[in-house]
Amino acid sequence: MKRWLCAVLIAVGLGVHAYEVVDDRGVAVRFDTPPQRVVSVLPSLTETTCAIGACARLVGVDRYSNWPPEVQKLPQVGGGLDPAIEAIVALKPDVVLMATSSRGAERLRALGVKVVALEPKTGADVKRVIGKLGQLLAVPDAGRVARDIEAGVAAAAQSLPPALRGQRVYFEASAGPHAAGPQSFIGEMLHALGLVNVVGPELGPFPKINPEWVVRADPDLIMAGERSGGEIARRPGWGNLRAVRSQRVCVFNAQEVDILVRPGPRMPEAARLMAACITRPPESPAAPSPRRGDNAGGRGDPGHGVLAWPAPRPFEHERACCAALSVFAPPPSGRGQG
Amino acid sequence: MTHARTPTHFVHPAALGLQSAATRIGKARILGDIDLRLPAGRWTAIVGPNGAGKSTLLRVLAGLLPTDGAVQLHGRPLADWPPRERARQLAWLGQGEAGAEDLIAYDVVLLGRLPHRAWLAPPSAADHAAVQRALADMQVAHLQARRLGDLSGGERQRVLLARALAVQAPVLLMDEPLAHLDPPHQADWLASVRALVAAGGTVVSVLHELGMALQADDLLIVRAGRIAHHGPCGSAATHAALQAAFDGRIGVHQVHDHWVALPRTPEERTHAD
Amino acid sequence: MTTADRTIAHHTPRPTPAAPRSRAAVLVTGLLALSLLAAVVGASVGSTGFESLLRAARDPVAWQIVTDIRLPRTLGAWLAGALLGLAGAVAQGLFRNPLADPFLLGSASGAMLAVAVALALWGAPVAAASWVAKLGLTGAAFVGALGGVLLTLLLAQGVQHTLRLLLAGVVVGYVLGAVKDLVTLAAPDVLTGMLSFMLGNTGLIGWDACGVMAAVLVPLALLAWASARVLDGLSLGEATAHSLGLPLAPLRATLIGVLALATGTAVAQAGLIGFVGLAAPHLVRGLARVTHGPLVLLSALAGGLLLASADILSRVLIAPQELPVGVLTAVLGGSYLLWLMYVRTRRGGQR
Repeated sequence: MKRWLCAVLIAVGLGVHAYEVVDDRGVAVRFDTPPQRVVSVLPSLTETTCAIGACARLVGVDRYSNWPPEVQKLPQVGGGLDPAIEAIVALKPDVVLMATSSRGAERLRALGVKVVALEPKTGADVKRVIGKLGQLLAVPDAGRVARDIEAGVAAAAQSLPPALRGQRVYFEASAGPHAAGPQSFIGEMLHALGLVNVVGPELGPFPKINPEWVVRADPDLIMAGERSGGEIARRPGWGNLRAVRSQRVCVFNAQEVDILVRPGPRMPEAARLMAACITRPPESPAAPSPRRGDNAGGRGDPGHGVLAWPAPRPFEHERACCAALSVFAPPPSGRGQG
Repeated sequence: MTHARTPTHFVHPAALGLQSAATRIGKARILGDIDLRLPAGRWTAIVGPNGAGKSTLLRVLAGLLPTDGAVQLHGRPLADWPPRERARQLAWLGQGEAGAEDLIAYDVVLLGRLPHRAWLAPPSAADHAAVQRALADMQVAHLQARRLGDLSGGERQRVLLARALAVQAPVLLMDEPLAHLDPPHQADWLASVRALVAAGGTVVSVLHELGMALQADDLLIVRAGRIAHHGPCGSAATHAALQAAFDGRIGVHQVHDHWVALPRTPEERTHAD
Repeated sequence: MTTADRTIAHHTPRPTPAAPRSRAAVLVTGLLALSLLAAVVGASVGSTGFESLLRAARDPVAWQIVTDIRLPRTLGAWLAGALLGLAGAVAQGLFRNPLADPFLLGSASGAMLAVAVALALWGAPVAAASWVAKLGLTGAAFVGALGGVLLTLLLAQGVQHTLRLLLAGVVVGYVLGAVKDLVTLAAPDVLTGMLSFMLGNTGLIGWDACGVMAAVLVPLALLAWASARVLDGLSLGEATAHSLGLPLAPLRATLIGVLALATGTAVAQAGLIGFVGLAAPHLVRGLARVTHGPLVLLSALAGGLLLASADILSRVLIAPQELPVGVLTAVLGGSYLLWLMYVRTRRGGQR
């Protein structure tokens, strides 16, 4: 009788504790107990998981997740777009965190693995995803992380002297050139810092724009990743831009780009990077856009205080694998087999 | 299939007939008004100056080119024949055909048996026998396992000829069959054609070797898209028409039992005129 | 031998050339045996290595890895390769061009456009997105491949003229590629999704995908084999083919249908994998001289083996990571063709 009662209580208890999480695809995934073994194949989700205190539960990450440093020791299970199904299954995960645009989700579900697809694209998304992860992993007060992010971004904004606010900025998200519009989370951060985006909201989150348009808009400040930023000054007509002439061009190296493109707990740091760029005096060697343009192989040149380029991993052009953003690399040319 | 073909196999004395007002390729009018009947059981050689329309005429007779008129095979309009039956009655060998480099000679000749083979059936013993006979007739039996692309021009032409022979069709149309063939093999070809005709078949060949053409039973002279003359090879009228077709620049002479056509030098021409 | 001897005497039919026939038989056995070997090897290699196979009896996860992941993946790679090899042999026969590959008639560009559109609609809260989600990327790629071929056929106004078909295919390739570029400009985040499709990916093939491919491969292979005599006839020229009584138009249409369906199915499941369709018929022709009937079947076997081997290598070379299989097929197929060309020119030079 007692044993039977215990069993009923356990069953009821389990039933009570069972919960459902609805992911960004609208799929409801049911959990009886909070997952203890988590695989994440999206760097921003990896960072958020660690930030809410569940880092110990991670058993596998994708090849692009590199923060915090302890996840680099975890087994790598491919990339967001080409997850290694076998490696993931071998890790016996309780849940796999993926981007919504990843194709492996159906395959994993067919194999009986629970997949929760989350993909933050805007600032509001980040808050929501943090809440979802907190609910999924049954971590108390995950909202604290969201509040810390907001506070950090606000602090970075407040650190800016009012005189530097209101500057017009052009943020180049990738070669093309694709600009970051105000609807992207990068655009939102720029707005939070009091900057005005030269790109209007009607063009969409990451529009491909005509470089001549940027020349006409003549921003006060240009921000770009290292790949495209290196030759910005050499573009026709760009040499006369006020930002280029006064050397107000910030070129972010690989590490900094990682921080900027991942909508996760390091957003305050991203905001600080942007703020540092804004407040940086033009003659500082860390903003050497024309000089950088002179160095054809400017990567890894220690004279500019730039961190060394990390050893290229295969398909490095996928490095900004957050699918919300166009990658920091030229779009593949050609039409395949035609 | 037996070797000897009895004449009762053929229903109508004319193997091929053509009545056509014009034959065009694109906008150009290649052949003009033609009314032609080629008798069965004879070898007709089609000759004429370059660009006269000989190949076009042959293609029209084979049903490969549309024309303004009608073609008859054994008295029946060509269009009325079901394709496979027509293919069994009429075999074609074109000029300068490319392709099939990777097949072995045996398989190429075996393709000639396609009209006789049921759709998914493997080749029968009769098919193999026909192939072997065609290979032997063209003296290429020793090349049967060789890749077509590895053969010389003359060997290749003989394999293609064997392919046409393997069809064992009563009517055989050939366009420039002697390309790349040296005289001994031309003699082999001549022997095969004569044997076919002796067995009751009909052969029509476009030839620019006039000496070989004069060995035929009938000569069809085409000039500027029209039939200039159609008559037996032995008759003087045919010889005169042949000389006239080439503007008198050739002369037809008798050598032993055969007629040959030799070019005339300008002096000979003035002497003859 | 006199004329009389030749025409009157009955020749005892000499046996058909033995050497080429037996070579073909040897090739079939060889390809099948190697394919079985590939299946076994494919079940043993992967990111978790050989121990999965050894532990399979006791560990349910290892069992799942071997039976639910590795086996369907290897078999799926073989089936996709077989479809591509079949399509390649048909394409090379139809166009009488040894450089023809299955993607000639706009199937690749159609599939890419459809995948781009599907990815773009995926995230959008549009009504269309629901049937896109149901169709999935595989369905979209299949529909796109068929659509590309249909467009080419429309442009070429039928199947009669080979040159017109080729030109139409090139035009459709460019036009659909341009439309795809516009889609990716409008929605740049589909680019990253398209990349894995363009490089070919066999890692997501499960048992149901294998079932679909097998259900398509068998009837198409039989249909191609039955229609192959038109390819033989065409190899001697259109005039000869017509004179042999072959129904050119219906058989051509059938073969183009086989080409489109085979390519579409393979592309839908495994992405754009180049070179298999091009190299498999050459591989077969280099080893055995056969007519198109056996050629299409042998090309299917060769293509399957090629892609299965590439899939195994892609798992093994940088284990536990993987290389995209399209890169490996290009390397494998390309090296073999280069070696073949070298051998031929050397042989030709010495002759």
